[in-house]
Amino acid sequence: MRRRVLTAVLVAAAALWLGTVAAAYEAIRRFETTPGLPASAPRVWPAASAVARPADAWSLVMLVHPHCSCSRASVKELAEIVEKAPRDVQTTVLVYRPREMKPGWERTGVYAAATRIPRVRVLLDHDGAAARAFGGFTSGQTFLYDHQGRLRFAGGVTSLRGHAGLNRGRADVIRIARQRGGEGTHPVFGCAITTTNPRGEKP
Amino acid sequence: MSPNVAARAGELHQEQNAKRHVMVSRMFAALLVVQYLACVGAAFAVSPYAWAGKDRVLHMHVWVAILAGAGITLLPVLMALYRPSAPLTRHVIAASQMLSSALLIHLTGGRIETHFHVFGSLAFLAFYLDWKVIFTATVVVAADHFARGVFWPESVYGVTDPEWWRFLEHAGWVAFEDVFLIWSCLYGQRELRGAALRQAEVEELTEQEQLKTAALEMALSEIRTATA
Repeated sequence: MRRRVLTAVLVAAAALWLGTVAAAYEAIRRFETTPGLPASAPRVWPAASAVARPADAWSLVMLVHPHCSCSRASVKELAEIVEKAPRDVQTTVLVYRPREMKPGWERTGVYAAATRIPRVRVLLDHDGAAARAFGGFTSGQTFLYDHQGRLRFAGGVTSLRGHAGLNRGRADVIRIARQRGGEGTHPVFGCAITTTNPRGEKP
Repeated sequence: MSPNVAARAGELHQEQNAKRHVMVSRMFAALLVVQYLACVGAAFAVSPYAWAGKDRVLHMHVWVAILAGAGITLLPVLMALYRPSAPLTRHVIAASQMLSSALLIHLTGGRIETHFHVFGSLAFLAFYLDWKVIFTATVVVAADHFARGVFWPESVYGVTDPEWWRFLEHAGWVAFEDVFLIWSCLYGQRELRGAALRQAEVEELTEQEQLKTAALEMALSEIRTATA
């Protein structure tokens, strides 16, 4: 009797084991490969953004939610881009901060990692106003504007959610910045910063 | 070598292997539970919440760590407790250990350092001195890479269209370690067989000595009786 019960328990555990493996694979695949909302970025630098565009210089902007763990990978990729792109590209990280949150809410590992990247200015984006001006929704969203303020790249710089490493988004930004020409886009992976566009509409 | 010695050596070899399998399976049961707790801890430490503006919900990684981790861990732990020396137990443990590695790698965002867990686990599995267990573990690693390479290649290679040989590059490092581990398993088994044979020979010699001593004592006893 005891043997039968044990066999039944082991068979049930084996079924659970197989089911879990299959379900976990599918859940992880879906989570990792589902991008966030892409930006509806203006074709020229948004004057309403309150972020000053450096005159006659190429500008790289990344929107970041400080508590989005996936954005660690985006910031890591940004560091890679800053290292490999021409030194005169002006890079800005806009860190989302809701006004009602207590002071220091934004001081996370993601924020600290952004401040450690050389030649990068880190600015607070109160209530996501700048994100809305740039038409961005998702943490990790990156924009590259040329010296005349025209949009050259809008997208993410990671291959999957939370995965740093070689990817086409990062490669495109570096290529466009180096060649001073071309355009590109890539899916963006990260938490939502805002779910409304500059006109307050939901996409 | 007498047939008796050979049979006894085989018996001793099996006993030693069974003892080793029980010990290693129980060690893995403890390790799997510790790994499960570490996975849940890592999920809470690395990515506790997913955010939408100022709102947060428990991150998917936490659910995966709790539920998938439990599902992966339960069967090998039960088998290690109730069937510790069964061959199937070793293979289930090997597969589960590799799946735990895959889960841990995922939960730490694919950190290259976490991949060392795969190599450490293979070395630990070699404690069984059963090369077939290493083979099972390698097949699971290869199947994981193959499945992800087909369905979402970016998770393994970082790009959507990797070169065809990239799979071989990854598998090659595992195969490199496998060569030495399989060799050490075969060598270890040879040593165990040698030790079992020596013990069987000693046992037979002891038995022969005991028989001789008994015969001698009997003869002495007869002489004493005759002279008395």
